[in-house]
Amino acid sequence: MDFLGLVRGPLLWLSIAVFVLGVSWQLFSLWRMPSGTASSAPARQTFGKAAALRSAMQRTVPKGGFHPSATLVTINPYVFHVGLAVVFFGYAPHIAFVHRLTGLWWPALPDMVMYVAAALTIISLLLALLFRLTDSVLKRISKADDFITWTVTFLPVITGMAVLNESSAVTLLRDHVLYRGPLALHLFSLELLLMWFPFGKLMHAFWVLPARMQLATFFGRRGVRS
Amino acid sequence: MINMDVFHGFLDAIHHLPEMAKPEALTDEERLARAKKVIRIKMDRGLALDLEACVNCGYCSEACHFYQSTQDPQYSPSRKLDLLRRVHARESSAFAPIKRLFTPDITVDDLKEWQPLVYDACTECSRCSMICPMGVNIARGVNVMREVLFEAGLAPLELLAVAQEQAGRGTVFGVGPTELVQAVESIRSQGIHMPLDEPQADVMMVTSVIDILLYQDALMATAKILNHLGVKWTLRSAGFEGANFGLLAGSEALQKEASRRLIHEALAIGAKTVLLPECGHAYPALRWDGRLDGGQALPFEVMAVSEYVGQQISNGRLQLSPGDPTRRITYHDACKLARHGGVVQEPRAALKALGVDFTDTTPTAETNWCCGGGAGAFLINRAEGLRYKAWEIKREQINATGADTVAVSCGSCRLNLMAGAEKDQWPVKIESVVSLVAMQLKD
Repeated sequence: MDFLGLVRGPLLWLSIAVFVLGVSWQLFSLWRMPSGTASSAPARQTFGKAAALRSAMQRTVPKGGFHPSATLVTINPYVFHVGLAVVFFGYAPHIAFVHRLTGLWWPALPDMVMYVAAALTIISLLLALLFRLTDSVLKRISKADDFITWTVTFLPVITGMAVLNESSAVTLLRDHVLYRGPLALHLFSLELLLMWFPFGKLMHAFWVLPARMQLATFFGRRGVRS
Repeated sequence: MINMDVFHGFLDAIHHLPEMAKPEALTDEERLARAKKVIRIKMDRGLALDLEACVNCGYCSEACHFYQSTQDPQYSPSRKLDLLRRVHARESSAFAPIKRLFTPDITVDDLKEWQPLVYDACTECSRCSMICPMGVNIARGVNVMREVLFEAGLAPLELLAVAQEQAGRGTVFGVGPTELVQAVESIRSQGIHMPLDEPQADVMMVTSVIDILLYQDALMATAKILNHLGVKWTLRSAGFEGANFGLLAGSEALQKEASRRLIHEALAIGAKTVLLPECGHAYPALRWDGRLDGGQALPFEVMAVSEYVGQQISNGRLQLSPGDPTRRITYHDACKLARHGGVVQEPRAALKALGVDFTDTTPTAETNWCCGGGAGAFLINRAEGLRYKAWEIKREQINATGADTVAVSCGSCRLNLMAGAEKDQWPVKIESVVSLVAMQLKD
C-alpha cells in the first residue's frame, strides 16, 4: 500500500474515528458536569430556548457601538469561515469524496467560484496569522493551540491548490489519479485537521451555539438586549 | 449641593482602608490549595463551556475600557480567565490526562499576578461579553477569580477591610444604625417625613453608606418621591445597607450575609417592594442573586430606585412640573443596572419627563462605556491611575453629547465621575436621577 492508499484507506478511517469519538467525548464530558445553580429570581421577561437561539444567531453579526479599529480584524474571519465552507461543500471533487463515504450528494458550485473562494481563503488565513503574530493583544493571548489550529486549517487549502490542474468535470471523469503525491498530501492534511479537531479550538464549531445561547439566556431573562 | 469636604474625607478614608484590614496569615501551599478548591467547586457546566468556547480572537479587548485607555495587552478580558482555563484543562476537561502534560499548573505567583487584573482592571462591566463572538460570560469568570483570590487571602486590602467591617460590625465606613438615625434626624429637621423602623410597610427603602455620608440629596429625594406617592414605606436600622462588599471582594458567604440582613427586615415588615438606592451592584446582588435561605425566590419585588421612579412616571402616578427645555442632560448607564440588570428604559423615562433636552450618549445602554470605578475598583488605591485612564473615555463620551449635566443612578459611578471631574476641572454637572426628579415634583 502506497501513501495514497494509506491516506485513502486506514488513515482516513482512523482520523474520522478520532474526530467522531473525540468530539463525542468532549460533548459528553461537558454534559456530565454539574449544571450550577439556576437563578430563582423572577425573570424580567420570558426568555425561552427559541429566544436564546434567535439571539445566538444575531450574534453572528457584530454589535454596533464598539471601537472601529477592529474593522479589518472583524471582517477577516468571515472571509475564511465562508471561504472554507464554500470550498469544502461547493467543490465538485469534495462532494464526490463525501458521496463515496456517505452516499450524500448535493450540487456543486462552478469551478471559478471555487478558485476565487480558495484564493480569498488563503489570503484571509495568512492575514489571520499576520494579525496573530503582530497584534499586541493577540501576541499576548495566543497559545500553541492557536498556531496548531491555524496550521491544520491552512494545510488542506494550500495542498488542495497543488492538486488543481484541470477542471473538476475532467478530474471526475478520470479513472485514475493524475497527481498521486499531491493528492495524498492533501488528504493527509485533512486527516491531520480531523485528528486535531477534538483537542483544540476547532471545537468552537460545536461550542458556539450553546455558549451563545447560555449568555443570551443569562442576559435575556434580565431584560438585557445582548 | 454636595459637601466637597465630605467627599475629600471619603477619599481620605479610602486611603486608610488597608490599615484596617485583617488578612489571614496563610502559607503559599494553603493559598494554592484554597484557590484550587474554589475553582473545583465553581467549575460547573456553564463556566466550563465559557472556558472551552474562547477562540482567543481578542475582540473582547476592543470593548474593555482598561485595555482601550492603556493599550496594554495584559488587560485583555479573555486573558483574565487564564488561570481558570489552566485548572480546567488539567483537571476537569475532556482530555485532562493529556492536557496536564502540556499545561503548567497554577502557582501562588500566578494568583498574585492576577490580583490587579481581576480587581483593579476589571469592573465586571460585561461590555466584553456584548462583543464576544462566542458569547463568553467573562464577568462571571472574573467574579469566580475574585472568589478564588478572596479564599486564597489575596483580595485587595481595601476591599477586605470593608467586607470584614460589614460582616463583623455590620457597618460600612463606620456607618451603622447610629449614623443612619443621625442622617434621618438631619433630614427630618428639613421638614421631610422619614419613617424609620416602622413595624409594617409596603415599601422598604434601602440606602447606602455613600448616600448617608455624601449623597444625602439622593436619600432625601427618594423619601420625597415616596411621600409624594403616598406610599407606606420605612427604612429599617437593622437592614439598610444596600452596598454589598462580600460580592465586590469575592466572598459568597459575606455576600449572602449582607443580603440576608435586608431580606430578614423586608420579611419582618411584610414589605411588598424593597427599593434599592442609587447603587449599581446592590441591584444584581439582591435582585438577581438574592434568595431565601432555602434557595426559594424572594417573596417581594426588588427594584432599583431609578427603575421604580421611571415606572411610576410611565404609569402616570408621578407627575413632574415642566423643566428647563434648554438644559441638556445625558445619562450614564451604570453597568450593573443596565448591562447586568436590564434597567435601561426606566431612568430614561424619568429624565425625559423632566422636560429637558435629553440626549443619549454614543454608545449607550447595554453598550455604554463603564465609568471605570465599579465593582469596588474605586476603593483600590493603587488603581487610581488606571481608573483615571478609563475615565478619560467616559469624559470624551459625555463631552460628545454637548450635555451640561450627566445624570447617574449609581453612587459609585457618581464618585468616580466626581473624582475625574475634580482632577480635570470638568464643567459638566453630575446629578442623581432621583434628585433631578424630586426637584420637579408637582405640588
